[in-house]
Amino acid sequence: MRGLRFSTLLWPVFIAAQLGCSAAAVAERVEPNDWLNRMGAAVQQTSYQGTVIRIQDGKAEALKVVHTVTDGVIREKVVAQEGNGLEIIRIGNEVHCILPDRKSVLVEEWDDQSTLFSTLPSSRVRFGSEYDVSIVREDRVAGRRTILLAIRPHDGYRYGHRIWLDTETAFPLQTQLIGEDGTAIEQVKFADISLNKEIHASALAPSISTENFRWLNQPSQHVKHEIETRWESTDLPPGFRAVATHGETMPGNEEVVTHILYSDGLANISVFVTQQKQATAAGPSRVGGSNSYSASIDGYRITAVGEVPAMTVEQIATTMSLR
Amino acid sequence: MNDQIRMQISAFVDGELPDAEADLLLRRMSQDAELRRKAAEYLEIGRAMRGEASVRGIERLQERIAAGINDEPLADAEVPAEESKGRSMRPLVGVAVAASVALIAIFGLQVTPGIDSTNGVADGTTVAESVEEPGYTVPQQANDPLEQMLRLHGASTAEQGANGMNARLVGLRLSEDPLPREESDETEAAEEAADESATLP
Repeated sequence: MRGLRFSTLLWPVFIAAQLGCSAAAVAERVEPNDWLNRMGAAVQQTSYQGTVIRIQDGKAEALKVVHTVTDGVIREKVVAQEGNGLEIIRIGNEVHCILPDRKSVLVEEWDDQSTLFSTLPSSRVRFGSEYDVSIVREDRVAGRRTILLAIRPHDGYRYGHRIWLDTETAFPLQTQLIGEDGTAIEQVKFADISLNKEIHASALAPSISTENFRWLNQPSQHVKHEIETRWESTDLPPGFRAVATHGETMPGNEEVVTHILYSDGLANISVFVTQQKQATAAGPSRVGGSNSYSASIDGYRITAVGEVPAMTVEQIATTMSLR
Repeated sequence: MNDQIRMQISAFVDGELPDAEADLLLRRMSQDAELRRKAAEYLEIGRAMRGEASVRGIERLQERIAAGINDEPLADAEVPAEESKGRSMRPLVGVAVAASVALIAIFGLQVTPGIDSTNGVADGTTVAESVEEPGYTVPQQANDPLEQMLRLHGASTAEQGANGMNARLVGLRLSEDPLPREESDETEAAEEAADESATLP
């Protein structure tokens, strides 16, 4: 009977101890996707204030960030701690970009619910079997307990992710975009943060006086409308599908560009199709975690861009054709 | 800038670089704005990561700055080839180098876009010019199609819940955004002119 009691009552604890995990971590291992669901909600709903270190291409920059959500209205401020002291202040859809070195305030209108984090899985689109999600371990970031979540791709067409989620709120305190060689391509990390505490309105005010600054309205960046297109990739990497197709015009260009957005639920790739008016260089280029590839096909210029490995944008760009 | 230099700078701001190497690095920093900017970056990151008002390396750095004011080798590093001016410039150059490093230490990232501190010595003395750094942006061709596509891509993915803020930050950093014209001012001026002419006899 003693042996039976040990096996039924203590065996799970014994295993957990052997694995070096806390009971909480064992429970959390059950449903890593639940953490992603919680994270999606936390990013949209959590108010926070802190310092973010963003590392990309071997360069690090520090940003002061304030973010509140009241009655569904996002108010946020991001202040670059380097260079020109760029500030972006957002109240709902209205965004003020303060450029101290040019003594200007650029007023823009955003109609999305975007966040500072560039590579988080969307809460609206779920990825399929192209990735494994697992909880790696407990950790600490910015002095808070976190769960490290790993999203590993099954092939070389997409990047992996490591996300440190605050155990209490599921807010992402650190994210890494992981390249094919296992190194971090981009990293966003809170050095310090306060979560869901009262944030005074003054924290969202400009950090500098904008008196005598020029206030400039930034015209809409582009006009777009949904269209149907006969362009498609004949060799789309597994898991990707077209999730949106738009005809768009870009500033200073009357031509309507066909913009197809492919997604595997986590990685996104845009393909732009324009009429080729003059010979331009084809090939790859890279900005931060984004790769692009341009190709000329049947008198059209095809450019694929996205936060994916170079081979993915190349494969898509070079296999586009008219149905 | 290679990894070894980065590691040296990192050790330097942590106050852990051996004296001989630190002296050499200081000399290089006096001539290389990129190294100064990197040092400032590391100082600020260290400060932010540790939640400190200052970092360990600063005290040591300040000692070095004080020592550097009369540091001939440092001055030598800045002396121009024309010896005719060189002798009289040396002490001032020493101050300039020290002031430059001091500004990095004290203000960290606030002085990163071209630390033009050599002209800002407290006594107003004009000393050797530092290397002029570009602003925060790396000029690129305005309306570069690829850049525009990156922005459109960012906006599209933003509609799915991410990337917009980041894309805008990157956009503002990557290029000299062509600012829109101040149409409102022109309109107001035109209206004022019209009002004035209307009141003329």
